[in-house]
Amino acid sequence: MFKILVVEDDKELNRTVCTFLNNSGYKAIGCLSADEAYDAMYENIFDLIVSDIMMQGVDGFEFARTVRSQDNEIPILFMSARDDLASKQRGFRVGVDDYMVKPVDLDEMFLKIGALLRRAKIASDKKLEIGDFVMDADEHTAYLKGKEITLTIREFSILYKLLSYPKKTFTRTQLMDEFWDVDTASGPRTVDVYMTKLRAKLADCESFEIVTVHGLGYKAVLK
Amino acid sequence: MKKQIKLQDVLRMLNHFVVFFLLAGFVISCCTMLFVTILSNTLGVEMTKENISAAAKITFLNVIFLSLLFSVIDEIRRRIMISKPTKRIIEAGEKIMKGDFDTRIVPLKNNYAYENFNEIIECFNKMAAELGSVETLRTDFIANVSHELKTPLAVMQNYGTMLMQPNLSDEERVEYAKGVTLNSKRLAKLITNILKLNKLENQQIFPMTADYNLSEQLCECLLQFENVWEEKEIEIDTQIEDDVIINSDKELLELVWNNLLSNAFKFTDKGGSVKLLLSSKGNKIKVRVEDTGCGISPQTGKHIFEKFYQGDTSHALEGNGLGLALVKRVVDIMRGEINVESAVNKGTAFTVTLQRSATDGLEKMDE
Repeated sequence: MFKILVVEDDKELNRTVCTFLNNSGYKAIGCLSADEAYDAMYENIFDLIVSDIMMQGVDGFEFARTVRSQDNEIPILFMSARDDLASKQRGFRVGVDDYMVKPVDLDEMFLKIGALLRRAKIASDKKLEIGDFVMDADEHTAYLKGKEITLTIREFSILYKLLSYPKKTFTRTQLMDEFWDVDTASGPRTVDVYMTKLRAKLADCESFEIVTVHGLGYKAVLK
Repeated sequence: MKKQIKLQDVLRMLNHFVVFFLLAGFVISCCTMLFVTILSNTLGVEMTKENISAAAKITFLNVIFLSLLFSVIDEIRRRIMISKPTKRIIEAGEKIMKGDFDTRIVPLKNNYAYENFNEIIECFNKMAAELGSVETLRTDFIANVSHELKTPLAVMQNYGTMLMQPNLSDEERVEYAKGVTLNSKRLAKLITNILKLNKLENQQIFPMTADYNLSEQLCECLLQFENVWEEKEIEIDTQIEDDVIINSDKELLELVWNNLLSNAFKFTDKGGSVKLLLSSKGNKIKVRVEDTGCGISPQTGKHIFEKFYQGDTSHALEGNGLGLALVKRVVDIMRGEINVESAVNKGTAFTVTLQRSATDGLEKMDE
């Protein structure tokens, strides 16, 4: 069972989040301050941290920075009343993985936590398995029904990205920014070419497909 | 405080006295010298030293006396002509400071003598009237806000009470709990919007402008509604020009796109379509959001950018009447324009026109 640490200084909110997570199949431990959280982390090993920003004493930014300096892998989810871009930027800069604005929709939080844990697993295993399709990030190899499929490095990276975030649509520019050089001369439509190639190579794959979203971008949909 | 004012008065009077003394001294010396020279030349009278020094002493005393007289007359004139109207204006100003916006100053009767003061008074009265109307707007706003805030609270309270009733079936329980959740979401959205609008209106906002890819921003904003269009089977049509770079405030413009798109998806029924267009020509960038929703009647169209105005109250649960007020405010800050074309039951199209560089206009203002 996954263990989740909830750091939130409002007692009621802390209690409801913990109860919700406990009822949803996780083991949640609530702490009212960062100091309490440090103690809890000394005694337990957590798989994920949910933290507030505005807290008495050590604030969320400081807390996240300290945690990151110790552990580079553990997913951190901020939940805060602050919805300005500056706070979000600051949060992501100290190394949080996701950001939710209060009041938090608990169902959405459940989905995000699921996705964060899955991604953390992918990141630590360096392996991705969807039905009969397997990708190994260390070896840069992909297997469909046990047979190797030859992918270029860029094709591999794009596919790995899409499959790490299933159902999330990436725009062409987002993919360009991540997998092409900044000074590349090719326009966003180059991505289309890669998608056509990927689809051709994965024609036999039945566990997922790459979907074009109204000319806006691409997503992987699991079947 | 009072003593200080007294000391100031004394200093002022002394100052006036010195000025009058120098003026009278200068004028009288000039006149006397002219007079005496002409007299001695025509009559051929030689004056002795004693004669001159005696006359000089008398003249000096005379000058002191005259300047003293002038000072006193001037002070009295001041008391009557200036202090009285000043006091009236100050009294009225103090009343306004205390919140009495109905205060008006009665103009002074002798218009010839008090012309300048009457101008000030007229201006002051106009200001008081303006302040009064702003105050009425604010009271209306507060009345609207408290109504909008209290309604979801009341609903939540009722559902909470209903949940406490014994012997509820599971369906009833879930339904009431849903009511609480839905209304708290509505309240949260309203508060977020009020805070944003407040920030935009009351703070001196300096847009944080930078070059960024507007095409990309529009794609990302539209994608946030993917769930909605899938659920409502809405057809999406995009004509977004590639890589349009704009120099503007990304966060503020995101508010505009999100609000326009969320309106489009909200008012479009199942099976309708939403269109998003982006085109640029020279320095002008045009973004257009079209829907096939219920449309806006011309009467409603006039008010849609007002705070808390909702054209269709049947959609009240999903909105709070602040979205378009926010949009308008941001577009104004960016020195852009927003236009609405709409036909009832056919659809609505919002067109936002922006400058490629939002700061061009701002810099000119500063100079």
